[in-house]
Amino acid sequence: MRHIRRSTSALAVCLLLAASSLFAQDLASFEKRTTLKKVDNGLTLIVMERPEAPVFSYATVVNVGSAREVPGITGLAHMFEHMAFKGSENVGSTNYPEEKIALQKVEDTYAAYDAERRKETGADQAKVAQLEQAWKDSIAAADKYVVPEEFSRIVDRAGAVGVNAFTESDQTVFFYSLPSNRVELWAYLESERFLHPVFREFYKERDVVFEERRMRTESSPFGRVIEEFLSAAFIAHPYGFPTVGWPSDLKSFSATDAANFFHKYYVPSNMVIAVVGDVKTAEVMPLLEKYFGRLPKAPAPEPLRTVEPVQKAERTVVLHEKSQPIYLEGYHRPSATDVDDPVYDVIEMLLSSGRTSRLYRSLVRDKKIAAQAQGFNGFPGSKYPSLFTFVAITTPGHTPADVTAAIAQELDRLKNEDVSPEELASVKTRVKAGLLRQLDSNSGLALQLAEAQTVYGDWRELFRSVDKIDKVTAADIRRVANATFNINNRTIAYVDNSPAKTASATAPKGESK
Amino acid sequence: MSMLKRNVIAAAALLLALASPAFTQVTKYTEIKTPPLRSFTVVQPKRIALGNGMILLLQQDHELPLIRGSALIRGGERDVPAAKAGLANIYGQAWRTGGTESKTGDQLDDLLEARAARIETGGGEDSTRISFDVLKDDFDTVFPMFVELMQKPAFRQDKIDLAKTQARTAISRRNDDPGQIRAREAARLGYGAGSPYGRTPEYATIGSITRDDLVAFHDRFVAPNNIIIGIVGDFDSVAMEKKLRDAFAAWKRGTGAPATIPAAGAPAKAGVYYVAKDDVTQSNISTLHPATLLRKDPDYYAAAVLNEILSGGFSGRLMTHIRSQAGLAYGVGGGLGSGWDRPTLFNVSMSTKSPSTVESIGMVKQEISDLQTKPFTAEELAHAKDTILNAFVFTMDSKAKVLSQRTLLEFYGYPADYWQKYQQGIEAVTAADVERVAKKYIHPDQLAVLVVGNEKDFDKPLTSLGSVTPIDITIPDGSPRPAASTMTAPPSAAATADAAALVKKVQDFVGGKTTLDKVQATKTVMAMTTKTPGGDMDIEMEQTMQFPDSLHQVVKTPMGEMTTVITPNAAFASTPMGVQDLPASMRADAKFDLLTVLKSPEKYTLGVAGSEKIGDVNTTIVTVTTDGSTAKWYVDPATGRVLRTVRNSRRGEQTTDYTDWKPFGGLNVPAAATISINGEKQGSATVKSVEINPTVDPKIFVKP
Repeated sequence: MRHIRRSTSALAVCLLLAASSLFAQDLASFEKRTTLKKVDNGLTLIVMERPEAPVFSYATVVNVGSAREVPGITGLAHMFEHMAFKGSENVGSTNYPEEKIALQKVEDTYAAYDAERRKETGADQAKVAQLEQAWKDSIAAADKYVVPEEFSRIVDRAGAVGVNAFTESDQTVFFYSLPSNRVELWAYLESERFLHPVFREFYKERDVVFEERRMRTESSPFGRVIEEFLSAAFIAHPYGFPTVGWPSDLKSFSATDAANFFHKYYVPSNMVIAVVGDVKTAEVMPLLEKYFGRLPKAPAPEPLRTVEPVQKAERTVVLHEKSQPIYLEGYHRPSATDVDDPVYDVIEMLLSSGRTSRLYRSLVRDKKIAAQAQGFNGFPGSKYPSLFTFVAITTPGHTPADVTAAIAQELDRLKNEDVSPEELASVKTRVKAGLLRQLDSNSGLALQLAEAQTVYGDWRELFRSVDKIDKVTAADIRRVANATFNINNRTIAYVDNSPAKTASATAPKGESK
Repeated sequence: MSMLKRNVIAAAALLLALASPAFTQVTKYTEIKTPPLRSFTVVQPKRIALGNGMILLLQQDHELPLIRGSALIRGGERDVPAAKAGLANIYGQAWRTGGTESKTGDQLDDLLEARAARIETGGGEDSTRISFDVLKDDFDTVFPMFVELMQKPAFRQDKIDLAKTQARTAISRRNDDPGQIRAREAARLGYGAGSPYGRTPEYATIGSITRDDLVAFHDRFVAPNNIIIGIVGDFDSVAMEKKLRDAFAAWKRGTGAPATIPAAGAPAKAGVYYVAKDDVTQSNISTLHPATLLRKDPDYYAAAVLNEILSGGFSGRLMTHIRSQAGLAYGVGGGLGSGWDRPTLFNVSMSTKSPSTVESIGMVKQEISDLQTKPFTAEELAHAKDTILNAFVFTMDSKAKVLSQRTLLEFYGYPADYWQKYQQGIEAVTAADVERVAKKYIHPDQLAVLVVGNEKDFDKPLTSLGSVTPIDITIPDGSPRPAASTMTAPPSAAATADAAALVKKVQDFVGGKTTLDKVQATKTVMAMTTKTPGGDMDIEMEQTMQFPDSLHQVVKTPMGEMTTVITPNAAFASTPMGVQDLPASMRADAKFDLLTVLKSPEKYTLGVAGSEKIGDVNTTIVTVTTDGSTAKWYVDPATGRVLRTVRNSRRGEQTTDYTDWKPFGGLNVPAAATISINGEKQGSATVKSVEINPTVDPKIFVKP
């Protein structure tokens, strides 16, 4: 028995070494083709040459997300992401000087209307209606200058694919791909977005964003349980806010609020832009500097003050509703820059990666209590201390209680037993191969380079993270598991659809017209 | 102006230009010049046709030390009868997880994941697929597993059961997400509920799928003449071709019935269809009718331009009018579908808040009729064509993409130069073409409007759009009991107890391990009542167990005696009419005898499969598995008493409820039980006596 075990672990080590040597070569080749440049205004540019085909992709990562919001303006980071598709002073208007005046009027009338309707006592409803009408009239007047979707039309017609953006707790990201003869057009348009943004059609877009909230959160069982889970898990830190925003804020904040947020956080030193594809660094870097150098230098935003306090009591949130059980369980963990971050990555792999993962084998394959069960790192963000989160979908006839018990069993194993050398080696091999497999797309590379630069201050971390994971030991895993997976550090949220309780829960209230 | 002055000015201008080389300030995007796109050669994969009909497509790509391959196989869900709906999905899962003749799926998982390699299988509408993804140095280790899984899959029963559990879970959850309901019901309306394109798996269809079905499906389709293998990565094509020939050239052509292209069923009539969902704040809407266009039709090019005008990117008509300008939707899109080998749908979908449901439907319908009445402007046409043609390079910007495009063309029998022709086809489209295609394929008067939403919050009743047909989405019978939550009650000890500990508890309840170890044989006399076609019948049974594995049973009925014997070597029944062999599967009956299991639980795989209330007792379900079959024991975790066992016998799911346990000669044994098959009561039994370690004549186990 002992002999066999030794030889299999020797085999595992061999495999690991084989993967490593291939790996080092390829990463070196990618590193060599990558150049970083800090522009005078503080902006970071990264260019990677990958001349596979005459195309390129880019990602702009802005180091701000919903975690920089405060009550009253939740959802604003995401709202600005939408506004970045509305053009600029030079894109999207038939006559910007006149439009500017009209837009100011929209803000003035909105401020008057909003102040009256939100009066805590004595709001005059007739006056509210009158001010609302004046606001709507000023919107109609400003809309006359709009060239609908001009930004998107230019980009689409140039042959762009994957035109999109997303907002998370930590960051806002803009991206698309174009044929490589459009680099200058792209540099112009992308710099315009952040040089001369214009908040046109703001209040209609606010309605669009509210539709996004209805789709992702209100009308989706998953969305509902996630919102409740995060609000319970964080009592002080803004990770507890929904990125899409609370309904009241989405119905209140103004284009002026958005402009203030933009000027505070969309400063060059808070942004990284990465370009990957069929470009020559020597030619493209000066072009990028020319266009993005136009962004005015501004002070970097002050770091966030609030730190989530240590959780001292288990928190459980139950949604009584008709949909089938969904189960979430989270434990606070440190931020991505913590020295133990790679240990959490290994724990995530052990628990969740592939059919050999512990949660799959226990909950899905053997106990058959879940159709899907995974644990993952860094939710909802990773820049600040966040959560190690478990998600499970029960099979018919099984309950959230079954899942709690089964996860607890696996966590006890992590805390009390050393991971075998084979299991650890298998995880490390897969981390390396996983990185290799991410290197085959321009858009994936652009996003990862810009994110690594933003989070760690060095894009090379993208390649170095695997070295750190390589150093993780079985003892590290037990130590970190013991420090993290404790009952007072636990938040559980789940859907309970047992008929008696669901019947007594009131249905969500619809909106009035 | 003096010469000198001119020179100074020129020098200054030059200096200025050098300071910002040629960078005059651009204020309008139209001032930016677009150089011609660098020409580049698209490397097509090497195509090899083997004598047995298999097609190989080899695409070298040396950027990363990886090799990925995929076999696309004709035949899929649409080749399966409606009564077995869902088979391709079960097949696609169990093919991989069920392992090969030489290795279980779990062993494959360990071997592959240690090398960061993958082999996966999947089933789709018209095809199935088996693929691999390896670091190149592992190719020679992993490829034989890929070949064995393709040619000698085992479809082990436990993994078929697991796939079925997954499928049942999906069914139980299919009414939770409104977008999913919309997509499913739209297909049902557009293609007809009975057609392979409109139907959905149900508990009954999943329940009816057997291992034999999967094996028959595999044998019918997985043959070289049905397979296209595409491989891309860091290899040498000549060497790779040899490896593939060595693996596949001797494989014989298949003789199974070829894959089919079934027609769609009868679509729903024009009108309004409503699915009530009271836990949403937004309506999910589809407006649709069947569309006959195929990709190989020359009209396809004009249809692509039409779709770009209607809903391309963020700048199509739908997004501009309904999202940007009206603020009524986050998502709105769709268009005229076109299948590779079968008709699809014209379908426009959107979601909007409940109070703007009817207003939005009006806008979508207006956009659809505008396609026939509002002329396409020259600007719209030019914009759409430029958009498609400029983005064309992205259809072939990686070697893997070129390979997968080529595989699809090969699969559907399209010419290899399809994409070049596509480019020319788009270039040639005129406004008149788009108008003609819009009139030919789009029928605003034939639209079915589907709304999934919460009508009490709508702006107007749906009846304002015409008569409304409600759709009942209740999941047909077989629906699992809603999971009763025990979360608010303190978690029972049972929920966390380990299966082995529970079985130990049962042992203790029966008399303890030491006592059980001493039991070599038992002789039990029972009185039974059993259901027959002629009414209830009373019988007496005398059962002798010789542990570990021999059973002798004598049943005395009014019609005479029957003796049944089961041993490791034989299974037979003898009656006054003679001796008859019994199926070997009967031996399972002996293996799942309670005392047999309790004497050697280590010979079985034990698990916990949740809990269930029987009467007042919240039992824990222990699974007892051996040789691929499983019995479930419902155990009272507090006492160790077994209240019920369930297992699949030849006659169906057999449930035995132990209504009484009594001590006999130092052992606590079931004293009364009722037996049901598939939920229907078959009979009951009462124990009259149990003799521990009786003298057993070995001859009773010998076949006369």
